Amino acid sequence: MSNAEFDKVKRPESIKLPLMLDFYPLEDTKTTGISQFFKNLKEGRLTTTKCKKCSRLLWPPRIVCSNCLSNELEWVDLGADGELYAFTEMRIGAPLGFVEDVPFCIGIVKIGDLLISSRIDNTKYDQLKIGDKLQLKIVELEDGRVFFRFAK
Amino acid sequence: MRKVAIVGGGATKCGKREASWRDLVQEAGKAMFQSVSNLSPKDVDSLIVGAAQPERFVFQAHVAPMVAEYLGITPRKVLARTELMCASGQVAIRYAWACVASGLSDTAVAFGVEKMFMPDMAEAQTNMTCVLDREWDGVNGLSAPPFFAMTAQRHMYEFGTTRDQMAQVSVKNHHYSSMNPLAQFQKEFTVEDVLKSLVISPPLQLLDCSGITDGAAGVVMVPAEEAMKYTDTPMYIRGSGQASIGNAVNNLASLTEWVPLKLAAEEAFRTANIGLKDIDIAELHDCFTISEIMEYEALGWCEKGKGGKFIEEGQPYIGGKIAVNPRGGLLGCGHPLGATAILQTLDILQQFRGEVPKGRLVEGAEVAIAHNLSGPANVHSIMVYSR
Repeated sequence: MSNAEFDKVKRPESIKLPLMLDFYPLEDTKTTGISQFFKNLKEGRLTTTKCKKCSRLLWPPRIVCSNCLSNELEWVDLGADGELYAFTEMRIGAPLGFVEDVPFCIGIVKIGDLLISSRIDNTKYDQLKIGDKLQLKIVELEDGRVFFRFAK
Repeated sequence: MRKVAIVGGGATKCGKREASWRDLVQEAGKAMFQSVSNLSPKDVDSLIVGAAQPERFVFQAHVAPMVAEYLGITPRKVLARTELMCASGQVAIRYAWACVASGLSDTAVAFGVEKMFMPDMAEAQTNMTCVLDREWDGVNGLSAPPFFAMTAQRHMYEFGTTRDQMAQVSVKNHHYSSMNPLAQFQKEFTVEDVLKSLVISPPLQLLDCSGITDGAAGVVMVPAEEAMKYTDTPMYIRGSGQASIGNAVNNLASLTEWVPLKLAAEEAFRTANIGLKDIDIAELHDCFTISEIMEYEALGWCEKGKGGKFIEEGQPYIGGKIAVNPRGGLLGCGHPLGATAILQTLDILQQFRGEVPKGRLVEGAEVAIAHNLSGPANVHSIMVYSR
């Protein structure tokens, strides 16, 4: 043996899931220009931005129109009904934070001309088919943030 | 624009490697330099490193100078890292090519590396869930398998593509990868094996999906007029195309028709001055079996919706209408994100040189394309190579 010194150092056994790794967006006015989207969700309204200048309906919502660069956007209601365009189920390979939810259904929901991806709740893969009618569902995180899903 | 030649390259074996990210870099770098006579690392003036997510997979940023250090390269012209997820390596090739073609660089290395196996695989899966728009699509659990599962579902729904046809893509590519010593999976599978494999995200099963892979590779580029100083058998870059439409799921051109691939192909064929009939080898991005089926269609080897029939008829095998993925594809060889395109390119070089095993050699091949898609197939990138 050499005369090197040996010592033990500690590392934390576990850490709190960092906010950016829980996948949900930050919602308040200090962190995003589309905070209104989440305020509307808390009232049970799924909304998005529409350009007042060129009338383009934009999803995801944003602060500048990607069609004409106007800042004059207004919030419009998308309603609470959707139609299932495509779906699958997460069975293997879920990310941290979603591992305990497996299996869960994921779909693309047609709302007017929009195709919005969403978790599909209250169902199993084998019970779904393309064209199914779906209802908006709002989920709340423990820290008060909200997000939307659809349910059968 | 100067004409550019690739004069050599090297790679690691791909797979679940008992090796660090840094080990992979050194292994591939050594193999690359050993493949090119009369070239020392000091002659390389530019290095572009394709690396998709080193910050997440190995918690390391600023990776281009790290690769340069390990390879003994001291860049004087261009040093950069490229990220375009699954196409990160192809972007490294495009940038290195642009540097040499413009006259900025005289000797450039396009390198690619990814170490994807992590002690906790849920962490690796987490990394793959920030590829689509994380706040609007990733948040729903949309990583690659669920996204491509829905693509497959719609393709089956709209065109009658079958599970059997998708499985046949996997069978073909594993057939060729069984003859590739660098491949992650050097084993043949039957249609039945594919259909019996674990369901990952229905309708996609384990053998429909490319692997999680560790690997690295690099190629050396010089102006065409200098190529003979290094090799008697250079490969020339003939053209290139890239196109992107939308990013969030709502803003894609279509789920079942890859419009940006058509646009990228038009541009690649135009710049290379070739037509579909000139292509002898197509290295296509078969991240999932459905991807390759949709690529036959978008590239024009068969009609829209007939990709399933195309594989059923054996057309994408060597000796068929077009040899697709005689390397073994991503399905057979693995998909070490940043390295994937470099590995495709290296295999094309070895095809032109007649250095691959006979069972997967495309005899007399003159022209090849290498294609990568990335993200939710909103981006498609193509390189055209010739002997």
